[in-house]
Amino acid sequence: MKKRLGILLVFGILFVGFSANWTYSYYQGLEEAYIPIMETKAPPVIPSEKKVFERSEYALDYLNMPQDENHQRTLESYYDNRAYPGAPPSIPHPVKEKLGMGGNICLQCHQNGGFVQKFNAYAPVTPHPEMINCKQCHVEQQTKNYFAATDFYKKPGPAVGVNSALPGSPPTIPHQLQMRENCLSCHAGPAAVKELWVDHPERVNCRQCHVPQQQEVENVELFVRANTVDQ
Amino acid sequence: MYQSVFTNRREFIKKMAVLSAMTAAAGMFPGIIFAEEQEKGIPDGANLDWKKAPCRFCGVGCGVLIGTENGKAIAVKGDPKSPVNKGLCCVKGYHSIMAMYGKDRLKKPLVKKNGRYVETSMKEALDLVASKMQETIKEHGKDAVSIYGSGQWTIPDGYVASKLFKGCIGTNNVEANARLCMATAVTGFLSSFGLDEPMGCYEDIDYADTFVLWGNNMAEMHPVLFSRLLDQRLKRGVKIIDFATRTTRTSMAADKTIIFNPQTDLAVANAICYEIINNGWMNTAFVEEHCNFSKGLTNMGYGLEDHYKFTDRPEAISFEEYKAFLEDYTPEKVSGLSGVSVKDIKYLAAHFGDPNKKVMSLWCMGMNQHSRGTWINNLVYNIHLLTGKISSPGNSPFSLTGQPSACGTVREVGTLTHKLPHGVVANKEHREFAAKIWDVPVENIDPKPTYHTVEMFRALDRGDIRFMWIQVTNPMVTMPKLKRYRDGAKKEGRFIVVSDVYPTPTTDIADVILPSAMWVEREGLYGNSERRTQYFEQMLEPPGEALSDTVQLIEVAKRMGFEKQFYYKDETHIEEIYSEYRRHHEGKKHNMAPLEVLKNQPGAMWPYVDGKETKWRFNAKYDPACTNGKDFHFYGKKDGRAVIWQRPYEPAAEEPDADYPFWLGTGRVVEHWHTGSMTRRIPVLHQAMPHAYVELHPEDAERMQIRTGDMVKLTTRRGEISLPASVNQRGVPAPRQVFVPFFDEQMLINDITLDSFCPISKEPDYKKCAVKVEKA
Repeated sequence: MKKRLGILLVFGILFVGFSANWTYSYYQGLEEAYIPIMETKAPPVIPSEKKVFERSEYALDYLNMPQDENHQRTLESYYDNRAYPGAPPSIPHPVKEKLGMGGNICLQCHQNGGFVQKFNAYAPVTPHPEMINCKQCHVEQQTKNYFAATDFYKKPGPAVGVNSALPGSPPTIPHQLQMRENCLSCHAGPAAVKELWVDHPERVNCRQCHVPQQQEVENVELFVRANTVDQ
Repeated sequence: MYQSVFTNRREFIKKMAVLSAMTAAAGMFPGIIFAEEQEKGIPDGANLDWKKAPCRFCGVGCGVLIGTENGKAIAVKGDPKSPVNKGLCCVKGYHSIMAMYGKDRLKKPLVKKNGRYVETSMKEALDLVASKMQETIKEHGKDAVSIYGSGQWTIPDGYVASKLFKGCIGTNNVEANARLCMATAVTGFLSSFGLDEPMGCYEDIDYADTFVLWGNNMAEMHPVLFSRLLDQRLKRGVKIIDFATRTTRTSMAADKTIIFNPQTDLAVANAICYEIINNGWMNTAFVEEHCNFSKGLTNMGYGLEDHYKFTDRPEAISFEEYKAFLEDYTPEKVSGLSGVSVKDIKYLAAHFGDPNKKVMSLWCMGMNQHSRGTWINNLVYNIHLLTGKISSPGNSPFSLTGQPSACGTVREVGTLTHKLPHGVVANKEHREFAAKIWDVPVENIDPKPTYHTVEMFRALDRGDIRFMWIQVTNPMVTMPKLKRYRDGAKKEGRFIVVSDVYPTPTTDIADVILPSAMWVEREGLYGNSERRTQYFEQMLEPPGEALSDTVQLIEVAKRMGFEKQFYYKDETHIEEIYSEYRRHHEGKKHNMAPLEVLKNQPGAMWPYVDGKETKWRFNAKYDPACTNGKDFHFYGKKDGRAVIWQRPYEPAAEEPDADYPFWLGTGRVVEHWHTGSMTRRIPVLHQAMPHAYVELHPEDAERMQIRTGDMVKLTTRRGEISLPASVNQRGVPAPRQVFVPFFDEQMLINDITLDSFCPISKEPDYKKCAVKVEKA
């Protein structure tokens, strides 16, 4: 009896020892193999920089597209459709769908552009397709008449061909960039205004040559170093 | 019935031909021609006289054509014949000529008398410089006079400076601002390969499949080269990986952006090597045949104290030892330190490891202005050597440069304290060789190097140096921990001569200001990052009494009695100097193209052997200097083998802590070049980027209630400065980091940066110090 108990006890101790050992090494093993999962945030997006490169995957297509001069918009009609330079253009064609905010219905034509038989024109490409409440800014014109006359002064839009500092040097950007960061959407493709059409869309990194004209420095005085004052 | 737009077969073929010609033209990367409508307001340029020159600004070395009319430069276009830029420039290049016409251009020498600058004649000013130099040598010894130039020196400028100071006067006090910019690239090349400058060239871009940009905001800093990357992506779908500490325009253009914590690039690079070896991606045949393994000293310090000295002691190790060392750099261990996920480390390694992909690494100041800069350069070479992706088309570790002739003048002519045009001052044979060509007694050349740049300005502060001549650079904007060096330069008993084109903070400390002829107002040569030497002729008359830096140096040398060595004739001096200089580099390893060749084509890459430039050095197929009968020959090292270095991670000199919790990094923007003394005088560029700013992460800005335009006070252990904030604008730094461009002399960020440097290259780390950020 005692002997039997002893044997049972030995096996019991062996079992406890085994399970303790096993558990310990199991957790040790887990410990070693454990790699803490790190949260790496995606780098932030800088809108003014990011959008320059948007649509650049079509740059070669833009380059090889022949210019369809018969259907190109002109700068004059471009500014005519805006209340002032930089204002959102109004919708110059009838819109069937009156209820919605625009969204996919507008984007069908205005995301990538293309020729529209009905209007005998190319659909302009929007530089901000991610903003889908189109009609919050772009409204359909139901009439050409005024309710009452206005004295609002419509400033002429920036002229073309006068924004270069030197003969042949790249023109600077005469307009604000907010919501117009994506250069290719307006300056390339068949819907581009004739005068604003760029013949080198494949360069992609537009602002390496074309820099904005910053208005804030207009009134800054000329910088004069102290040691030149005496001269 | 369907009707073809092409009415007949003949017309179809004709139209197809036009279309394919257009495609081919695009493939050739044509220069930009504006459409008729867009040129309406521009005056007709039919009478312009177009002449070629390398661009005045960065180290890319674009070929430009300058249009002159009635003795004035009036237009610039990219040179379609240049293999560098193929007709394209960046906004700085297109407006570069306007840098010559600032109203405050220095036209007459100015000499400081009783605290006021008085105009004098050039003759009188040069007499004064020469006599003051002689007087200083007499009173304080030859090592009390020094010259500090730059990577904007033309090759002849640097050559005559070195000849005068090292050969004739006999002092090694010759340094250039490239010490603040390229010195690390040099020590990286020398320690890994034994010879300076990239083995590949820009043409690698046309063959590589993956581009890894190591801390390199190429879209802004090397935009024309970056446009070649973008061009390849459109045509061949290459991958651009941006490995950086800050989100930039490059990140926005890249296929993948990986952000790492400052200084941990050392650990990540080692982790990539670990993965390459561990996954069996190593090119064993290449490594066994062409590589050695080595380790150097560690815990080197940071050079913060005066008289700091360090020389590395290389020690050969076995591959097994190297492998054991890498055990500390598994992706899992490195991930926590670097903030880069294990997945991203493996992603990077897989691009390097894939035997079917050609990889090009590109870097500039991120890796060079680094307190362990030589190490990180070595580590990137390790990756390329382990995989054998080196010295062949498309496989290229490529170190970019920031100045038009950092390579051509500072590195090749050797205007650094330890260097000679060929070899180093410490080597007897090299001294004898130089002395023979210079026509000076060999004893003239001192075998002991003196001061590197930071130590040179410390010596000026201490009074060990009494006379300093500064040419084409603006150290009173660019020196780190600037206040100490500005105060030092202003001390009694120091005599400072500054040759420049505009008044700058550096002319503020001058006793004599000499007006210089810049760029195409004189004749000269530049050498760009791909070993391309480019010549430019004089196209314009310099203003007033301005003289080229070369002529200023020659005139002073003659006044000091070195007429024999400075025998050059007025009309042909550039040609004579260049011919003399070429003799230093004769031989298959570094032969320079003759001047007639450079006059007729947009530059040539050295080694120029038997009328042919060498595109890929160390590769027997392309490089006639390879003699070991194998595919590759790293002949810079005695045994013909490149070195794979065991280099650990070590922290930066000053890291954020409780008192100064942010990292401060500095850099550039696309519009301005260097200290802005030229580009800020170009109206287009100033209007686009009128002043410096401090970039904050949006979360930090929100927590501190800072919006774009609000003034922010930055405080480091060196001082404080206030700048307007920039949130979500040009760039976004990581949380707890700020970034400030250094171009603005009205907001001198370098007043508060740290003068720690890489102990091997002595190049300061402008990218890392600890700063406190508050709303001002």
